[in-house]
Amino acid sequence: MARYLARRLITLVGIVIIISIGAFYLIHLLPGDPATVILGTGDSPQNRARLYAQLGLNRPIIEQYFVWMKNVLHGNLGTSFISQVPVWTTIRAALPIDLEMIVLSQILSFAVAIPLAMSSAKRPDSWFDRFLGAFSFTMLSIPAFILVVVLVLVVAIKLAIPHTGVSSYVPLTQDWVTNLESMALPSVVLAIGSVTVYYRVLRSDLIATLQQEYITLARSKGISQRRILWRHALRPSSVALLGTAGVNIGGLLAGGFIVQYLLDIPGLGYTLVNSIGLSDYLVVQGIVLVVSVGVIVINFVFDFFITLVDPRIARE
Amino acid sequence: MSDETLLRVREVTTTFDTPQGRLTAVDAVSFDLGAHESLGVVGESGSGKTVLSRTIMGLQPRRGVSVTGSVLLNGIEVVGATEEAKRELWGRQVAMVFQDPMTSLNPVVKVGKQIDEVLRVRLGMDRAAARARAIELLEMVGIPAAATRYDAYPHSLSGGMRQRVVIAIALAGSPQLLLADEPTTGLDVTIQAQILNLLDEVQGRLGMSMILVTHDLGVVATRTSRLVVMYAGRVVETGTTRDVFARHRMPYTRALLESSPKVSNPSHTRLAAIPGRPPNLLDLPAGCAFAPRCAYATDRCRNERPVLEPAGEPGHLFACFNPLSEPVGSPT
Repeated sequence: MARYLARRLITLVGIVIIISIGAFYLIHLLPGDPATVILGTGDSPQNRARLYAQLGLNRPIIEQYFVWMKNVLHGNLGTSFISQVPVWTTIRAALPIDLEMIVLSQILSFAVAIPLAMSSAKRPDSWFDRFLGAFSFTMLSIPAFILVVVLVLVVAIKLAIPHTGVSSYVPLTQDWVTNLESMALPSVVLAIGSVTVYYRVLRSDLIATLQQEYITLARSKGISQRRILWRHALRPSSVALLGTAGVNIGGLLAGGFIVQYLLDIPGLGYTLVNSIGLSDYLVVQGIVLVVSVGVIVINFVFDFFITLVDPRIARE
Repeated sequence: MSDETLLRVREVTTTFDTPQGRLTAVDAVSFDLGAHESLGVVGESGSGKTVLSRTIMGLQPRRGVSVTGSVLLNGIEVVGATEEAKRELWGRQVAMVFQDPMTSLNPVVKVGKQIDEVLRVRLGMDRAAARARAIELLEMVGIPAAATRYDAYPHSLSGGMRQRVVIAIALAGSPQLLLADEPTTGLDVTIQAQILNLLDEVQGRLGMSMILVTHDLGVVATRTSRLVVMYAGRVVETGTTRDVFARHRMPYTRALLESSPKVSNPSHTRLAAIPGRPPNLLDLPAGCAFAPRCAYATDRCRNERPVLEPAGEPGHLFACFNPLSEPVGSPT
């Protein structure tokens, strides 16, 4: 197990290095002189000198990478020349919002998807299973931006439930009850996408697991069906589910921006879209780096969960 | 039904609905099993042995299977019983040792916990008592370092050890009837005898009844008192183990006996195989199902189905129009 995880960790470090090269090179993909583009309206001799120090722009490109990397490792992603705020400060303000959204939506997704998948797998092809199959497929095909609009229309406008509409975001530190209310709608939208995927993945694995001989043996002990499902079938059926969840959550970290943008929630996605609009390239670079590393770390964590669920996977 | 009868099986028929039509896997099987008695059920693959043992337990899948007839276990009817009613029997009155220990243990649950479960859920023991008892059971089935093995996952145990764990699970609820369904199929020959001897020993020690299902007559010869020989889902011969070995009348029984290796044979003796293949259960011949493979078959065999008739010795029945004259074969 330890050796397996160590091996995974080495791979992880390798991938992070590759990503950092990509994020670094982002600036050089911009047309024209990077300094001119980055500085934009803030092009003054002092700012230019600061940017050169940050990115080492007058040195050879390999050296530039190491200068930049050293700064990044010290938590210095540079300071935006548009807002004059350090990039890391901007990211640190936005990131918790994404994390909260992901955590809420995932708790909701698992809480709904697992019991539904079990009910379906108990009696495959029953009317319940067929209905859910068709329903989940429909939900899967509805894009998030449509869902957001419909939900805002119904929940915030028709039902007039407070703190659920556009621009109603309240930080968690200010008032957690109102915050939860304002996060409910985006979390539900993200959860709907996740539930349909998790339901489908878990359902098919559960059906396969329930045909295993060890399930018959568990039945022969005279234990309840509920116990068989939760204690005997769920764990061996969870490997694909956890793998999918890892990829999906990584996707939410990068792809939650539509929901954030439509609802005016100042998370990473929202900040990223705004920064692109403002040509604030240092912020874009910082977010790309943080999100990429986040995706890798989340996948690593879920790989670890998989080894906890199925001890055979980390076997040496 | 005498007080000593634990299990009474009457006219049990199990059919499966398959895409190709209705398949009769067990066809009107009847027998009795007394308390403390051990019974061998023998036949080739596809003769319905496994389905019969699952039917006795009521453990068949819920869909596409229908069972008629009667299985009385301790006076309780299993056929048609609800899942809840059968759950009461499972583990406590009847337990099963499964065929393949590589697939019958949950790969992601520690073996100790798999034994534990019966003790805690069915017997209501607390965590500590269940753990202690599970370790005791592991010791009883001959697992060394039982306390350490409690926390092992199945994949770290050998096939023989796994089958011992499966036996420990079956014994955990102190059942009166143990169904052992080809318990040594997936194991090395050297391990097979150990597992069979273990079953034999615990059966005697705990005073259980046992049904030992196998294709190998050598396995049941010394370990069971009575035999049921099955072919194509039907009982074709039954009697005491001694009578079936020494005075079998059904040519199929003899063919099975001859295909079982004997130590008394000179080395390099070619094993007799039964010619042909087991019949297609979806398309059985009109008469005796064994007729197409039988050297003694006549037109009557091909057109009319023989029924079980007494052979002379008490309890010895056979279904054949052209029985072998007795005595044939050699007593064991």
